[in-house]
Amino acid sequence: MTAARLNQVLLCLLLGLTAIWLIVPFTMAVLWSLVDPSEPWTADRLLPPVMSFYRWVDMWLNSSLQTALVNSYVLAPSAALAALLLSMPTAYALGRIRFPGREVCKILALLPLIVPPFVTSIFFTSLLYQLGLHSWRFGAILFAHAIVFMPYAIRIMTVSFEQVRTDHIDAARDLGASAWARWQVAYLPALKPGIFASLLIVFIQSIEEFAIAFIVGSPDFTTIPTLLYGTLGQDFVRPNAAVLSLILVVPNVVLMLILERLLKSANPALSSGKG
Amino acid sequence: MTLKKWLLVLALLTPGLGLIVALIGVAVYIAIAQSFGFYNLSGESGFSLEFWDRMLDRKVFNRAVAYSIYVGVISSFLSVLFAYPLAIWLRKPFPGSLAIGAMLKAPLLVHGLVAAFLFINVIAYHGVLNQLMQGLGLWDEPQRLQNDRNAIGVLLLQTWKNMPFALLLLTGAVQSISDDVLNAARDLGAGSFARFRKVIVPLTVSAMQAALIIIFIGALADFSFQVIAGPTNRQSLSQLMVFFKSSGRWNDAAVVGVSLMIIAIVGSGLLAALTRFTMRGRVA
Repeated sequence: MTAARLNQVLLCLLLGLTAIWLIVPFTMAVLWSLVDPSEPWTADRLLPPVMSFYRWVDMWLNSSLQTALVNSYVLAPSAALAALLLSMPTAYALGRIRFPGREVCKILALLPLIVPPFVTSIFFTSLLYQLGLHSWRFGAILFAHAIVFMPYAIRIMTVSFEQVRTDHIDAARDLGASAWARWQVAYLPALKPGIFASLLIVFIQSIEEFAIAFIVGSPDFTTIPTLLYGTLGQDFVRPNAAVLSLILVVPNVVLMLILERLLKSANPALSSGKG
Repeated sequence: MTLKKWLLVLALLTPGLGLIVALIGVAVYIAIAQSFGFYNLSGESGFSLEFWDRMLDRKVFNRAVAYSIYVGVISSFLSVLFAYPLAIWLRKPFPGSLAIGAMLKAPLLVHGLVAAFLFINVIAYHGVLNQLMQGLGLWDEPQRLQNDRNAIGVLLLQTWKNMPFALLLLTGAVQSISDDVLNAARDLGAGSFARFRKVIVPLTVSAMQAALIIIFIGALADFSFQVIAGPTNRQSLSQLMVFFKSSGRWNDAAVVGVSLMIIAIVGSGLLAALTRFTMRGRVA
């Protein structure tokens, strides 16, 4: 068998497998979310007997979905912005100043990704109890998200700062640009893709985060993942869980695709208009 | 460097790196201190080995340790095992390879809880898998597959979710091997398995180590897959820690948390040493 033929066979095989491991599960989730309660979907039928958007409407009106959506979608952009702002000075230092111990600092910045999330969240809650701040749930989760996901922002922004061209900065200075004007013409164009990428990645991570939101937020602060976890637990209603799963997964896939584009375009030569 | 410059660097690092080190440092410190009886939220605080002593004697704890290590090790090995051939296959672009890469990496975008839900949907008592097996005449009646005793469901989920991550790391490493090196090996008479063993693996050992360790730590500390799809007669370390915390037993939760971190560190070191050891003499 030639290499090309082998590739074709493998390709078909893999496409089939991928269909099984992606298309079947997601189709099942969509179908379950459309099951009308008037007639249950029993094992002997291939498709639900009656399909409607009843579950979607019902979840929207009669569960904490609306609150969870508001919480998640207020929390995530705030965490993204906070993480970006907090990461900027560190990224500037790591990207543009040579100092002994720089590599150690870069590794230390990855700490939150190594410590198991439930350890961070449980003992962060313990700290909140010691300080008497445990009723301050939104602020506490926002603070924790901003810090736990900052490593992504620091990594991306450090690379962006490294890519700002010194000749651009020098040229701007020689032409008499003030510090603010230099920031605008020399730094900002090269940093822009990194800024968007950092905001987006922290946003996605925060929307998806479960451990901190679950431990710090319980029992009365819900986000989409904690709500989904609730519907998967004791009061497991399959169609409702299907609705929530789709609400959680679809926007994130779209955002991730945008992120991939952004990261590909994060080329300073393009963004600063010089090759 | 002048003192002024040092002060500038410190001031710049404080809001970012400083906060990270402070938060994680304090969380880890409190975990360690609480495991030795300090910072008690109820009752007296003071140094005590009582919590460790009692925990190490508990059957449920020892089972959780063994179980979490089992899930961590098997998941990381399975993920790397599946990712290697795929990474080598996708080393050179061919028509359709981009689409395959994208499909293989799709599970990275799916939230763990959603993955667990999709999975239990497929393997449910009246789910498609049972229907298919009955339709094919392989099973006479539906089987109970959810929460199986050997945690095969959890291992499948972990591999499904983590294989793309290993693939991402290994593809980068495999693609950076130049054709010259592989051609030279071929000219010297190395067959495809010898090329894999003696050229590709030694040159990609760091990526493999990184994948093994990161997946191991994640799977070791798993909570959601275990709670939803795992066996009901045993608990993972994270699950046990959450259980102790929610019943207000912070010191016991701390002992479990510290054990989890120790196992993560020791396990990562052993995995790194193991890969180095098997590659002994072959890594430049």
